[in-house]
Amino acid sequence: MTREGFDVSCGSSRKTQILVIEDEDTIAEFLKTGLKYEGYGVTVAKDAVTGLDSARESNPDLIILDIMLPDKDGFEVCRRLRRRGTSIPILMLTAKKEISDKVEGLDAGADDYLTKPFSFEELLARIRALLRRSGRAVKTTELRVVDIVLNTETREVFKGGKRLTLTPREFSLLELFMRHPRRVFTRETLLNRLWGYDYPGETNIVDVHVSHLRNKLGDKPPRLIRTHYGVGYAFYPEEGD
Amino acid sequence: MWKGLSLRLRLTIVYAGLLALLLTILGATFFVDTRNLLIENTASYIRATAKPVIEHWLYGKKVSEKNRDIVSEDYLRKIARFMARDLTSRNTVALVLDKRGKILAIGKLLKEEPAPPSPDPFYYRQALSGENEVTYILSKNDKHILVILIPLRSGPGSDRVLGAVQLSSPLARVEAILYRHGITLAAGTIITLLLGTILGLLAISSALSELRQMIVTCQNITEGRLDQRIDLPARSDEVGQLAEAFNKMVERLEAAFSAQRRFVASAAHELRTPLTAIRGSLEVLLRGAQDDPGSVATLCQGMYKEVVRLGELCEKLLDLARLEISVNVCKEDVVLSDFFESSLKQVKLIASGRKVLLEKGPYVSLKADPHLLKQIVFDLVQNAVQHTDEGGRLTLGWRLGVDAVQIWIEDNGYGILPEDLPRIFEPFYRGKGVSGWKKRPEGSGLGLTLVKTMVEAHGGKITVSSKVNEGTRFVIELPYR
Repeated sequence: MTREGFDVSCGSSRKTQILVIEDEDTIAEFLKTGLKYEGYGVTVAKDAVTGLDSARESNPDLIILDIMLPDKDGFEVCRRLRRRGTSIPILMLTAKKEISDKVEGLDAGADDYLTKPFSFEELLARIRALLRRSGRAVKTTELRVVDIVLNTETREVFKGGKRLTLTPREFSLLELFMRHPRRVFTRETLLNRLWGYDYPGETNIVDVHVSHLRNKLGDKPPRLIRTHYGVGYAFYPEEGD
Repeated sequence: MWKGLSLRLRLTIVYAGLLALLLTILGATFFVDTRNLLIENTASYIRATAKPVIEHWLYGKKVSEKNRDIVSEDYLRKIARFMARDLTSRNTVALVLDKRGKILAIGKLLKEEPAPPSPDPFYYRQALSGENEVTYILSKNDKHILVILIPLRSGPGSDRVLGAVQLSSPLARVEAILYRHGITLAAGTIITLLLGTILGLLAISSALSELRQMIVTCQNITEGRLDQRIDLPARSDEVGQLAEAFNKMVERLEAAFSAQRRFVASAAHELRTPLTAIRGSLEVLLRGAQDDPGSVATLCQGMYKEVVRLGELCEKLLDLARLEISVNVCKEDVVLSDFFESSLKQVKLIASGRKVLLEKGPYVSLKADPHLLKQIVFDLVQNAVQHTDEGGRLTLGWRLGVDAVQIWIEDNGYGILPEDLPRIFEPFYRGKGVSGWKKRPEGSGLGLTLVKTMVEAHGGKITVSSKVNEGTRFVIELPYR
């Protein structure tokens, strides 16, 4: 639950674009909100025809495709996209668990498959995997901010060339801050993302970890990790310059 | 042990046993009867040949003189030798006995003539006491000899017995015939038994082999392969009838099962969609969208909608389950004109502005559950409202059919596509939509299924006809009783 990994480059001007083809309003809405929050650019199409048009026009990096659409089914959409020769990774969503559906989906040209109801975190993991495989994600194993270098693969952190020893939670916390500079995270959000949705503890554990991280980074005012009183924390790389 | 044997073996054993019993009884009876007949025949023949010889020697020309003593014992003693000789032939040897059973003469003279058995006092006493028909069979060294005793009387019809003649004849010829007969019978019996058993076994096997095939098919079906059928060459006997009945049963089972499976799959799908939406929305909120008031509002509204939808779905599913158990149909007398008049107000309320026309039919009273009937009518009105523009018109009415009342609910809305029409009563089926629809109608997709179930719980049926952009007409037929 605590694993964080954003393949969205914070430095790049173009966000990774995801096209969601889904007719159920509520599902489309949460996918849009959630994916946007995670840093993706999202377009929603409510039927197959709009979806196919949108795929042609905007050339997204990934397509999330529901099988049950009002005008055509997802398999047909998938086949049409592949016939056009696009190599855009396609992730299919379906409410059916049958193997035959899975096989048909993959045969139609889908790259992966998720059964409703799915966990959003799993969806994110699959999106990351698909993007990595297709080579569409910007390779970001190393994040650099000021003199801090964070390697997501080796899980090493250097400050001014000196290696820091961080606990896994501290590492994840720093990674999250570095990927989303200037975004204010409430304590609840940090708790949910790093400790899991069902963690029963109080939010002051977040304060403890932030304080440890600050100490290890030698973070003195004006701080990199700033406290927004009554709200939470945010990361400000520029002020450190 | 017996019960452990296969039906085929048991039937064969019973069959072969009965056949053997029957053949043995028949054969034995036949054999004994033939033997008796042959012996009797031989005895009669010997008697018939002996009679004139004896009469000739004893009475000569005085045969016709009745009830008179013609000859004496002395006379008998005199002629005994000649008479015995005369009565003896290659097959038969005669002995003449006097009143006390003493042998007076033996007819055997030539070597090839059979030796006579010594007289048996038990039998010759019977003959000497006047018994005419004394015949017995003597067994000697496995050879059977027929012995016949004829009393000699002092005159024809006289009571006075002077002695007796013992005629003995070996039964070799009769036995030869009987032996051949016995062999033929035994061989016949064995052949018939063997052939019968084999043919019986074959017949039973061919009848039962199809049962075996049925057993295999049944086992396959038990394993869940409901598409299996018993494939027998057409036959009209009991096995054929059983196969046909069985196939029909499996046909219905398969239909029921696949309907059930479709229903469960659809229900699961209907449940999964709102669950996915709620779960995903919550996760997105927890991951940080909760910090943005705009996202919170949209996601919460979405979740609220989905929860309401789930609730409605649960209600409808429960209704359906309750109706399929079909216990709560409380029939009472319903007068249709009263029923429609009292429902009209609510119908108009549901119709929300659409014109409602009531085409009254004749007075009729039928047995129905008024609450269910109301729900049927309201659901159909609700359905009509969903598929009609606000300026539309609904028509309700009834008329009398042959053995059922017809009730109709008609609208002049968008209609139903011909390809949707046969499926609209299926659970969770929603039409693809006619161009007049602004959007796909909200709803569980169970409304019409529920209506159909309620109508069928009354023993009635529902039909639908529709034309795109002209309207739809539902007709319910409810039996009077």
